Amino acid sequence: MREFLQLVVVGVSTGSAYALVGIGMVLIFRTTGIVNFAQGSFAVLGGLFMVELVDDIHGLLAGLVAVVLVALVGSLVGFVAVGFRHRTTPLASLIITLGIALLITSLNLLAFGDRPHTYPTIFDRAWDVGGVLVQPQYVLVVGVTLVAALLLTLGLQRTIAGQALVACADSRRAAELVGIDVRAVAVVAFAVSAGLSALGWVLLTPVDPVNYDSDVRIAINGFAAAAFGGLASIRLAYVGGLVLGIAQQLVVGYADKIPGLGQQARQYELAAALVIMLVLIGWRARHEVHE
Amino acid sequence: MSVAPLLEIDGLVVKYGPAVALDGVSLSLEAGERVALIGPNGAGKTSLLNGVCGLVKPAAGHVLLDGRDLTGRAPGEIVRAGLTQVPEGRQVFPTLPVEANLLLGAYGREFRHELVSATLRYIGRRGEISMRLERVYSLMPKLRELRERPAGRTSGGEQQMVAIGRALMAEPRLLAIDELSLGLAPLVVQDLSEFLLRLNEEEGVALLLVEQNAVLALELCSRAYVLEAGRLVLAGPSDELERNETVRSAYLGGGLEVADAESGTQTGLSS
Amino acid sequence: MTLRTPSPALVRLAGTLAAGSFAIWLSYQLSPGDRSLYTLMGLYAIVAIGLSLLIGFAGQISLGQGAFYALGAYTAGILTVGLDPDDRFLPEAGIDPALAVVAAPILTGLVAAVIGVPLLRLRGHYLAFATLALHLILLAAIFAQSRFTGGQDPGLAVIEPLEVFGWQITGVTGGTPRHTAIVWGLVLVTLLVALNLVGSRAGRALQAIATSERTAAAAGINVSAYKLRLFVLSAGLAGLAGALYAFMLQFLSPDAFGVFLSIQFVVMVAVGGLGSVYGAVAGAIAITWLEHELRELGARPSLLGFDLPDQAPQVFSVGVFAVILIVVILFFPRGLLPALGEGIRRLRSVRHAD
Repeated sequence: MREFLQLVVVGVSTGSAYALVGIGMVLIFRTTGIVNFAQGSFAVLGGLFMVELVDDIHGLLAGLVAVVLVALVGSLVGFVAVGFRHRTTPLASLIITLGIALLITSLNLLAFGDRPHTYPTIFDRAWDVGGVLVQPQYVLVVGVTLVAALLLTLGLQRTIAGQALVACADSRRAAELVGIDVRAVAVVAFAVSAGLSALGWVLLTPVDPVNYDSDVRIAINGFAAAAFGGLASIRLAYVGGLVLGIAQQLVVGYADKIPGLGQQARQYELAAALVIMLVLIGWRARHEVHE
Repeated sequence: MSVAPLLEIDGLVVKYGPAVALDGVSLSLEAGERVALIGPNGAGKTSLLNGVCGLVKPAAGHVLLDGRDLTGRAPGEIVRAGLTQVPEGRQVFPTLPVEANLLLGAYGREFRHELVSATLRYIGRRGEISMRLERVYSLMPKLRELRERPAGRTSGGEQQMVAIGRALMAEPRLLAIDELSLGLAPLVVQDLSEFLLRLNEEEGVALLLVEQNAVLALELCSRAYVLEAGRLVLAGPSDELERNETVRSAYLGGGLEVADAESGTQTGLSS
Repeated sequence: MTLRTPSPALVRLAGTLAAGSFAIWLSYQLSPGDRSLYTLMGLYAIVAIGLSLLIGFAGQISLGQGAFYALGAYTAGILTVGLDPDDRFLPEAGIDPALAVVAAPILTGLVAAVIGVPLLRLRGHYLAFATLALHLILLAAIFAQSRFTGGQDPGLAVIEPLEVFGWQITGVTGGTPRHTAIVWGLVLVTLLVALNLVGSRAGRALQAIATSERTAAAAGINVSAYKLRLFVLSAGLAGLAGALYAFMLQFLSPDAFGVFLSIQFVVMVAVGGLGSVYGAVAGAIAITWLEHELRELGARPSLLGFDLPDQAPQVFSVGVFAVILIVVILFFPRGLLPALGEGIRRLRSVRHAD
C-alpha cells in the first residue's frame, strides 16, 4: 500500500507537469485549430533555461525569467506556425510546428550537449507523511500547477483579452468579422501555452532531468492529456494529465512483476500513454461526429 | 456636387479556387439609406459580403467606403472604417455571456495586428465603451436582462439581437445584415425589422440587408438589387421591384397563385 | 493525314517506364559509395509512395512509417539469423533470406492491420501523435528486448547474402549493383501500382474520402475499410523497403531508425506534393540527398572559418533540414513539385500569348 501511495505521489507530480503541457495544447488547438508539436520543446527549454539561470540568480527569479523567455520563444513560434493568411492550412501548420520542434532540438543539442540536465531540489530532505516519502519539490509542482491552471481559467473568462481568445475558439469567423486579429490572438495563445509548458518543467527538472531530446516524449504525454478532454476542455486536460502521470508510474513501478516485459520497463512508459490515449479517444469517439 | 456614396462596390469578383461566386457586381449605398440585396440561395450574396468585409480577398474589383479604397483589406480595417456585419446564423460566442459578446464588438475595433496594444487601447477607452454599452442596452432592453447569460443559451431571436448589438458596439455607419430572418419565427422577424427601421431613422445607421426573404427585404428597404448566379439582374426602388413581374413570380410567390394585380396583394411568404 | 497526339496517360506511362529503365541502368554505373546513397533513395521512395497515398487519399498523417520500416528490417533480419538468440551462430538457424524478405512486409502489414483498426478511428492529429508514439514504443521494445533484437550493442548482424533461386542479389559485403537495380525496379513497380490504383474505382472512392469522409460514407463507401487497406499497404511497402535495407547494410541497430526517420518520410511527401506519387519519389530523392549533404557538411572539422563542434553533423542535418522544411511549407504549402509545375505552366501560357 505504501508503495502504491509512493507511486501515486510521484505520478501526481509528473502528471501535473504533463497537464500544463496538455492545457497549452488545448489552448492552441481551440484558438487556432493547430496541433502544436513543439509543445514538448517549450517544456524542455523551460528546464534547460532554468538549469542555466539558477546558478546565477535566485530560484524564484530564475524560474520567472525562464518562463518569460520561453513565452517569448513561443510567440515567435506562433507567428511562424500561423503562416500566411489564406495560404497556410492547419495541416501545413502542423508540419511547421514539427519542423520547429526539430530545430529547437538541434539547437538545444548544440547549446547544451547530449546529457541530462538538472538542478538541486528546493529542499534536500523529503517529508515523511504517514510513511510515504514526499519530496517538497513534488508539492511545489502540484501547487504551482493548480494555481496556474486556475489563473488561466479566470483570465480566459474575466479579462477582455482572454475572452477574445475564447471568442476565436468559439467562432473564428465571427471574431474576425468583429475586427479581432485572429493571428495576433494565435501568437498570444502560443506564448501563454509555451509559458505554461515551461513552468511545468522549470519545477519538475530536479526530479525529472531533461535532455535535448526529451521533447518528443513530453509532447506525446501532453497530447495524451489534452486528448482526455477531446482537445477541447482545459479542465479535462488537467485531469487527464494527472491520470496519465499516475498510470505511468504504476506501470513502471509494477512492470517488473509482469514476466516477459524485459529489464527496461521504463521504456514502456510511453506505451502506457498510448494505450490510455487510445482507450479514451475511442471511448469519446463514439459520441463524436467524424468529419 | 455630390458626396461620395458611403459604400461603393465596383465590378467585384469573388472566386473560391476556380469557382466564380461573384462575377463582377457593382452597387452603391448612400449614408443613411436602407438597401436590400435579394436573390436565391447560392446566388453569391454571402460571397459579396465576405469580399466587402475582408474575409475573402476579391479576385478583381473595388470596394470603397467613403471614397477610400479598402479592397482586400483585413476585416479589422473595414470595421474601423465604419462597416460591421451581422453574420448569417448569428454566430454569437456561445460560451461567453451576452455582455462579453457585446464588449468584444468594441474590442475588435481596437485591433491593429497586435493584441497587447489593442487591450491597452480598449482599457483606455473603457469609459466611452461603457457609455456605448448603455446606449445599446437602451436600444435593446432585452439584452440588459440577459447580460450575464451565456449567449449560446438564448433563443434564436435573442441571439440575433446579441449579434446586432455586438455589431453596433463598433459604432458603425453601415450595418450589413446577412439573412436576418433565417430560422426565426415571423413575429420575431417583425420585431427585429421594426427595430432596424428605428435604428436607421434615429441613429442614422445605413443598412445593407442581404436576404432570401424578398418580402421582408422590400418592405424594410427603399431600394434593392437582385442577385442571381453571381450577377446583378435587376436594381431599383423597392416599390418598382415589387410590381416587376419576374420578381413577383420568382421571389414574391406571385406565380403560384393568381395574384390580384389591382389590389397589389402580396400573398405568400418567402420563396 | 492528321497526326494523333497520344493520350496524356499513355505519355505519362511511357515517360515513367523510360525513367524507370534509366534508374535501373544507373544502378550499374555508380561507384559503391554513390550507389549506397542511390539505393537508400530508392528504398525511401518506396516508403514515400505508400505514405503519399495514405496522406493524399486517406488524409491520415502517419508519423510512424519509420516504425514499419524498422519492423520490416528487424523481421527480415531476425527471421534470417534465427529466432532463438542462443542458436544464432548455427548455420541452420533461421530461414532462407529470400523468404524472410517476402515475409517481412506481410508481417508488417499484419501488425498494421491489427493496430490500424483502433488507430484509424482517430482523426488526423490524433493519428499523427499516436503513430509517433508507436514509433517510440517500437524503439523502446527493441531496446528493452535487447537479448532478442540485439539492442543497440551489439546490434543485430545479418551477414547472410540474399539470393533468389541461386540468383545472387546481395553479396558478402552487402549491397551490389543488382540489389540496387532490384530496389529501383521495385520503385517502378510500386509507382505503376499506385498510379493504377489512383485511376481505378478504388482510387475514385479514395478521392471521395479525401474530399469529405462524411459525404463518402453517405454515398455508401466503406470509409474505414478503405483507410485500413491504405494503412496496411503503406505499412507493407515500408516493411519491404526495410527488409531490403537489412540485407544491404547487414547490421541493424535502433540508431538507424530514430524518430527523425518517420518525420523525414512525411517531409518527403510534403515537399514532393501531397497526393502526388511522382512527387513522393522526387521528394524522397531530394530529401535523402539533402540530408546526406548536410551531414557531410557537418562532419567537416570547420566551416567558413568556424570550428564545428562534435554534434555538428546532427545539428546540421536536423537543424538546417528543419529550417528548409519550414520555409518550404510556408511558401509552397502544396509541395515543391506542384509549385514547380505551376511555374512551368505559367511560363508556357506566357509564351503562347506571344
